[in-house]
Amino acid sequence: MTFSLTMSLADLLLLLPEIFLTCWLCLILIVDFAFPRMSKDQLAFLSVGGLVATFACLTWFDVAHISGTLFGNMFVLDRMAIFFKMFVVATTTLVILVSVQYVDRFTFFRGEYYVLVVMSSLGMMFMSSANDLLSLFVSLEFSTLGFYVLVGYLREDLASNEAGLKFFILGVFAAALLAYGISLVYGETGKLVFSEMHLTATSGTIIGFLLIFTALGFKIGAVPFHSWIPDTYHGAPTPVTAFLSLAPKGAALAILLRIFFVALATFKPVWIVLLVAVSILSMTYANIVAIAQRNIKRLLAYSGIAQIGNVLIGLAAGTKMGSDAILFYLLAYLFANIGAFAVVIAVGQAIGSEEIDDYSGLNRRSPFLAFAMLLFLLSLAGVPPLAGFIGKLYIFVAAIKEGLYTLITVALINIVISMYYYLVIVKKMYINEPIDPSPVSISGPMKTVIYVGLAGTLVIGIYPQPFIDWIIDATLMFSNFTTQSTTAIPPTPPFGG
Amino acid sequence: MGEHALLYILFAPFVGALALILVSNRQPLLVRGIAAGSAFVSLIASIFVFYAYDLDKGGFQFVQKFEWSRELGISLHLGVDGIATPLVLASAILLFTGVFVSWHIKDRTKEFYIWLLILAAATIGVFMSLDLFFLYFFYEMSVIPMYLLLGMWGSHTKKYLEMTDPEGLKLRDSVGFILNFGSNSKEYAAMKLVLFLSAFAVVALMGILLIYKYAGLNTFDILVLREQAKLMNIPVLGTTLDKIIWVLIFFGFASIAPLWPLHSWSPVGHAAAPAATSMLHAGVLMKLGHFSIIRVAFEILPDTTREMMPIAAVLCIFSIMYGGFVAFYAKDTKYVIGYSSSSHMGYVFLGMAALNYISLTGAVIYMFAHAMATGMLFAMAGWVYDQTHTRDLPSLGGLSNKMPFISACFIVGCMASIGMPGTVNFIAEIMIIVGSWNKYPLQVIVAVLGIVLTMAYLFKMMRSMFYGPMSQKYSHAHDAVGVVDRLPLLVMITVTVGFGLFPMHLYDVVRSGVNPLIARITQVVPVASHEQDQLNVTREAPESPSKADLTAVPSHLAHVTPHSIRGLE
Repeated sequence: MTFSLTMSLADLLLLLPEIFLTCWLCLILIVDFAFPRMSKDQLAFLSVGGLVATFACLTWFDVAHISGTLFGNMFVLDRMAIFFKMFVVATTTLVILVSVQYVDRFTFFRGEYYVLVVMSSLGMMFMSSANDLLSLFVSLEFSTLGFYVLVGYLREDLASNEAGLKFFILGVFAAALLAYGISLVYGETGKLVFSEMHLTATSGTIIGFLLIFTALGFKIGAVPFHSWIPDTYHGAPTPVTAFLSLAPKGAALAILLRIFFVALATFKPVWIVLLVAVSILSMTYANIVAIAQRNIKRLLAYSGIAQIGNVLIGLAAGTKMGSDAILFYLLAYLFANIGAFAVVIAVGQAIGSEEIDDYSGLNRRSPFLAFAMLLFLLSLAGVPPLAGFIGKLYIFVAAIKEGLYTLITVALINIVISMYYYLVIVKKMYINEPIDPSPVSISGPMKTVIYVGLAGTLVIGIYPQPFIDWIIDATLMFSNFTTQSTTAIPPTPPFGG
Repeated sequence: MGEHALLYILFAPFVGALALILVSNRQPLLVRGIAAGSAFVSLIASIFVFYAYDLDKGGFQFVQKFEWSRELGISLHLGVDGIATPLVLASAILLFTGVFVSWHIKDRTKEFYIWLLILAAATIGVFMSLDLFFLYFFYEMSVIPMYLLLGMWGSHTKKYLEMTDPEGLKLRDSVGFILNFGSNSKEYAAMKLVLFLSAFAVVALMGILLIYKYAGLNTFDILVLREQAKLMNIPVLGTTLDKIIWVLIFFGFASIAPLWPLHSWSPVGHAAAPAATSMLHAGVLMKLGHFSIIRVAFEILPDTTREMMPIAAVLCIFSIMYGGFVAFYAKDTKYVIGYSSSSHMGYVFLGMAALNYISLTGAVIYMFAHAMATGMLFAMAGWVYDQTHTRDLPSLGGLSNKMPFISACFIVGCMASIGMPGTVNFIAEIMIIVGSWNKYPLQVIVAVLGIVLTMAYLFKMMRSMFYGPMSQKYSHAHDAVGVVDRLPLLVMITVTVGFGLFPMHLYDVVRSGVNPLIARITQVVPVASHEQDQLNVTREAPESPSKADLTAVPSHLAHVTPHSIRGLE
């Protein structure tokens, strides 16, 4: 194959957000070194400034319908890529805002923290645009690199070190699997770009794609590739946990969508079985294990695995509507999850604990935090009128149209199970009395993030139509993708009394 | 006002709740004022709807439709028919009275009223939803406030509080979901209620999703689905699809009704809840079950309903008798009323199961009547609890000296609950019994025995609460003296007795909603020989008034097909 690397300046426009963010990254580094006495808070706001500018640029792309491909189809900028880039950038912005106070806890390298966060974000932006196996590998590793460091950032904390090591070893293992899978697929097909593959079911491609799926399953934390998640989420600095629970999942789902809906479109009856199995396992296992958790971060880790199980239902539906539902669900999940983690950080900062028992009587200590946490948890549980409910319903509607009855039944049962452990936290916050009734104070940036989370959760829940319109446009590329599902029951016979 | 009346009823409590967020807890009077104000707006609007409902026109009125999501086929479609109108009114009355019943709550007053208003608004939302999605939306939305209301302002049972030994302390927080009758904490009650109702709500959701898929119309709109959905005779898993959907919908919603054997959350929940919550809960929340079955199963699957409704007729026997006997032996005031409610809900199921004009009208009126009667009883049990801090019947007694007004009202409440002539409950009960006699004589006998049983346990409870010797520790108990304390009881008594003496308008309204529904259900559709359009002709053809038109119903509303007469007999 040949790469035509001739490109004009106009083509480079497609890379503008990435180029801009790269420059800004260097700027942050320079500022950090040049002004060592500068408050690190200002560095945070500098990073936020760059990210907001990037977001604005992406919004312009979205409104102006700018799209195209670069580097011989390696890099694609379509509306879906823009959606996921906006998702990543928004998450990063919010994560940096919740980090502002937390960073004081680090003894060294406070400035580099922001650089690493923005760097990972940059990697995930490339990941959202990855359109072939090579750029998939490069961007995935690029984004994970920052995370390896960030997870172990609490140098004196053994749990953090353990988390970092565990994440690193398993991450590298997943990378090896990915590389092996890519080599197998390339060896069989001779193609790297998803849309150019004309696949036949040989053992090489099957094993290859299974390995690629394993590596991506590791990224999104689906059972049975989840074993790193609880310990890593628990040990990592909480803002990093929040980051880890959102952005990589989004970026990896962009790639999963491209692989399953573009490269493997003709094999839908085969992969549907795989996805149904993984989805059922993720939801059921995570929800049951979550009941036993005593630490809020571990609980949110398992809840995240269960949410990914829900997202995979949309993938298993394998239709345009399924992909819409995934995007919508991610949007709902973004606000609820970042909000919940913001509350966890705020409470952790005030009372120095992340045990669920220490949330006792939070309603008396800080009605605002308790109320916010209540709404975020209920949104995660899928209670109307919050965003999570619409997200779940959207996914169910997409799946029932494809006749995935078993999957929906399991998902519905899981809603009830998950309701239990979310309500246990609600019980602690609202019903139990506080041991120490001193009020909990919240910093300004933290409050902003919680307000953003609340606004998103409520607005998407009450008036979802503009967001639905947006995501439907974002996945227009899949509108031709309709294969008859194997499990669908034949159409209804005429009415006869 | 006018055509937007439903929006006022639905959104006044929501707006009130939003306004409360901005108010400080340090101004309790302002908090209560806002809650009462928004409940009052809702009440006035629902009274307006009740009397402005056009009997001659029938059908769904005050319809509001806003598109909500094109892709999913959802619109906020509101409207009330003759069945929903009295239930909306009952919810608004109970919300308004509930605000006054909980006037003395000191702990986190603001939060209490916020959740109470959301609970009531969500309940009202179910009654006026003409869209399956929003029906489920409001239904599920009403469950979560219950959790907080029970958990934060509820009360434990006596046995639970008595468990102070180490063994008992361990025992009392374990999750003995079945075996810990009588020794429940409020946390347990709240969790059980939410999990139970959510578990069955998702069963109903599965049914709703199946309707959505197989109708293939890409809409959740009940009015469209009932005309166009073709769900009959699709073979699935050895039976037909419509039966599966019907069972999912029926049992999903029957859990909140609560139909035996799905009732176990309900007495526990009633008992733990604060007075106003119990009122709303037993008064209207439980009716969501019957109402949703009528709205979804009866409207969309009329033919299946006719086939399957005997299930309800069988189960309602157990509901009536089981609830009655447990109420008789229960030693906790709120358990008695809670089990009595779940027993009385069996009557509604009997009225629904018989599927004729009189019994279904009776069932709907009974829902309204029971809301008032049980609201009164819970309000008074709550008052007694607030004064004495116990719900234990044996330790109470002689309170009529201390609270003559409450004890007088209690007699009225008992009379209403038993169904004495002069109360609206009597009318409802007699209609259910008369209407069901032809089809289910056994059940009617059980129902009559149930009335005797009701009399027995309510009088027993009244005796042990208000008469006999009084323990000295209750000497500080006092009566409801102020306007605020007396108003709710007086309102509910007025409504009960008022409609008991002048039931005509209530009857006409309900009848105008029941008529077309029963006409749809009871007509026997000839198998396969009729084409679609002929079917429509039989359903809509105006024919001569039938025997079923026993009373003063606007004549064209009583038009039914000859088949329906056969159904009645």
